[in-house]
Amino acid sequence: MSEDSVQELELISTIGFNGSVPHGLLVHPDGEHLIYPLGCTVVIENIKTHEQNFLSGHTNDVSCLAVSKSGKYVASGQITHMGFKADVIVWDFEAKEPYATFTLHKVKVEALAFSPSDKYLVTLGGRDDSSVVVWDLKMREALCGAPSALQSAGTVYTVQFMNTTDDKFVTGGNKTLRIWDVDRSNRKIRPQECDLGQLKRDVRCILIDSTDEFLYAGTTSGDLLQITIKTHLFKNSGPAKDKYSLGVHSIAMLKDGTIIVATGGGIVCALKAGTFKPIAQKECTLAGGATSIAVRGIGHQLYVGVNKGNIYRINFSDFQPTCINSCHYSGVLDVAFPHGCGDLFATCGKENIRVWVTDTSTEVLRVTVPNMTCHGVCFMTDGHSIISAWNDGKIRAFKPQSGAAMYTIHDAHKQGVTAIATTSDSSRIVSGGGEGQVRVWDISSNRQEMKAAMKEHKGVVTCIKIRANNMECVSSSDDGTCIIWDLNRFVRNQIIFANTLFKAVCYQPEETQLLTGGSDRKISYWETLDGSQIREMEGSADGSINGLDISDDGNYFVSGGNSRKVKVWKYNEGEVTHVGLGHSGDITRVRVCPNSKHIISVSADGAILRWKYPF
Amino acid sequence: MGEESIYDLLPTVRQPEAKNPRYKSVFNETTKAEYKSHKQASKTMGPAKVPLNEPSSFMSKRAKEPVLPEKSQFVRPNADQKRPAVPKRDEKPVMGLKSNKNFIHTNAVENIMSVAKKPQPKYVDTPGGTTNNLDDSGLVPKFVKKENYGTVPKYLEARKKQMAEHQKNYEQYIQQRLQKGALNQISAEERQKTLDGLKKNWEELHLQYQGLSVVTDTAPKKARKERMEAEMKQLEKDIDTIEKHKIIYVTDNF
Repeated sequence: MSEDSVQELELISTIGFNGSVPHGLLVHPDGEHLIYPLGCTVVIENIKTHEQNFLSGHTNDVSCLAVSKSGKYVASGQITHMGFKADVIVWDFEAKEPYATFTLHKVKVEALAFSPSDKYLVTLGGRDDSSVVVWDLKMREALCGAPSALQSAGTVYTVQFMNTTDDKFVTGGNKTLRIWDVDRSNRKIRPQECDLGQLKRDVRCILIDSTDEFLYAGTTSGDLLQITIKTHLFKNSGPAKDKYSLGVHSIAMLKDGTIIVATGGGIVCALKAGTFKPIAQKECTLAGGATSIAVRGIGHQLYVGVNKGNIYRINFSDFQPTCINSCHYSGVLDVAFPHGCGDLFATCGKENIRVWVTDTSTEVLRVTVPNMTCHGVCFMTDGHSIISAWNDGKIRAFKPQSGAAMYTIHDAHKQGVTAIATTSDSSRIVSGGGEGQVRVWDISSNRQEMKAAMKEHKGVVTCIKIRANNMECVSSSDDGTCIIWDLNRFVRNQIIFANTLFKAVCYQPEETQLLTGGSDRKISYWETLDGSQIREMEGSADGSINGLDISDDGNYFVSGGNSRKVKVWKYNEGEVTHVGLGHSGDITRVRVCPNSKHIISVSADGAILRWKYPF
Repeated sequence: MGEESIYDLLPTVRQPEAKNPRYKSVFNETTKAEYKSHKQASKTMGPAKVPLNEPSSFMSKRAKEPVLPEKSQFVRPNADQKRPAVPKRDEKPVMGLKSNKNFIHTNAVENIMSVAKKPQPKYVDTPGGTTNNLDDSGLVPKFVKKENYGTVPKYLEARKKQMAEHQKNYEQYIQQRLQKGALNQISAEERQKTLDGLKKNWEELHLQYQGLSVVTDTAPKKARKERMEAEMKQLEKDIDTIEKHKIIYVTDNF
């Protein structure tokens, strides 16, 4: 197989937004694009057409994001593992390509800011680094650096440049608020601490007014500080009463001087700049804590990012929030299509099951079970219920339109339900648990009864597939076995041993062969009749195979895993035909949609990617 | 509401509702024609000429106010159902009314003319003289005086009749079979012969059984004894069966 015969898989859309990144949601100065982080990529989305571009180059989650005033550059910082250096990548917005990579900070880049005329970029290291570095963008090199705060002060969280001059910026953090002067000729930055008097505050966001007269700092105490920049003196703070619960996490200023505040309690409201008095009718509450606020144009529209993965649009005139983008806010663990219907699919993850319309990527149903994680989801073939596997050991069924609970099987498995499948006559559920049992349940309208418990696996059951005639099923397990079960006598028909943790298994459509993938990075073909191995292939160079799915005609199959690549294979030849690059977290599951139009892949960073099926 | 289905979540393209056609007045054409003819009200003849009122019949005061009907006494609609008033405090009842009826005489006559009451039969069960109703006591022979005492109840008659009918039907059926040759009746002597043979067999077996050793210590002995017991039991059963039935039919088609 030659390398150039492998084509790239066409990515149609992604669903995902990492709302926990502070100030992660930005509006590009052209007013037409949203910029937000998703795992280790940065997404640029057109507000009107929803066309998406991806800036990928980071090796781990993006931790901060900034866009220059001219709109020419976008900068993003990342986290890495302890002891490694974290990159800052400056991207050329037009070309959507990296312009420069700056590597100096350890472990985490906490915040970044562009100077008003794109001359400098200032970056802030995390708590293991605690340094502030100014970069010359033209020369693409570091200009100077300094420790970001006094030894006695805590972590520094935020940085902001002045609006009129390139030579001054402000940093804020735990018990520190500093105004820095850049001395280019001597390659020095000199800090001056702001005098807050008796106040001790943890600053999370900084706003500087357009004339550089005052700076406003939002704190975790839930108030705003106003400081005169010229004198470095504290001027005012507010609101005096009723401080915002869970702190002020983002502030923005409109052209007329109105301040917009977004708080950890989810409140977004408008204040008068001088007095911090709230403006009547300009307050709303969002679900989840607001982490970023972005102003579009002159301030007629506000975009607010929430740590529960939603993006809201607020029109300033009526101040009513509209959710324009929703997604899973933690890893997506499973994806399922209704029987024979490629226009809808369901995904599940922490606390949530969501149903999406495939073509528009819009969410049509959300089922929430607080504090629980859903490991598996599937539809009954008749379409009358959504069956889900939860880590509290329960199997829950929901109505597919209202999302109301239909029934719950309590204590279905001792160590959580990890895999689930339904028979084609909608009368049985086969579930697998963390303790290794595979159980069969008879389902009728008012009764759910355990038919059999099959105890042969010694490890977590990872995947279950049932044959079309409902006579047999196959289960894969972390103990290195795949077992084909007889569903009439509830005994083992065949067992497959391999030195791997099996993660995925699927029947070839003729059901004479099985396909397995696991942590040994191999994809294997097996005979269902006698359990003998037919073929073994290297599925990936650098990570386990977590998801496998085969097309309806059986000529192609799709794999995905920790290598973050979606691969399309020819079944008979065992050759890769297409590779999809775009995931920034480990892929947990892949599915080919029943009408063979799309491939859906989901990953541990909460992203759902939709690819065009190439054949 | 019917059962929910996932397929109902599919986005449907909604056809915009067809609008009703715009309202058009039926007088549209006439209005247009009238307007076009440029005829305006009272333009040719001037306002209509109406004779004026006489000066004597000028408009009087309050002439424009509506004329109200004459006032009348209010009468409740249920006034006729009203009960007479409660007597006043100072009102006295009418006194001194007297009847001419001779109560002593009429009572005496009534009693003399009346028929004497029949005493209820009673019995006394204690020396003190406690009396009880005789009727409920069970001392009177009521049951044997019942109309249907001693007759066979109706349901038994019906059952008897039914059974007889069944028997008749059965016999008829047997006759039919016999005529067809499907059944053969065993004659009395043949039956007796079979019976005797069976009894003889039994006796022989019984004799052998009596001759068995008292101690059954080995397996063959036990088996032999059990076999003989079983055979005898079978014979007894067969004898019993044949003795019970006077008429025996034998069919060939087994």
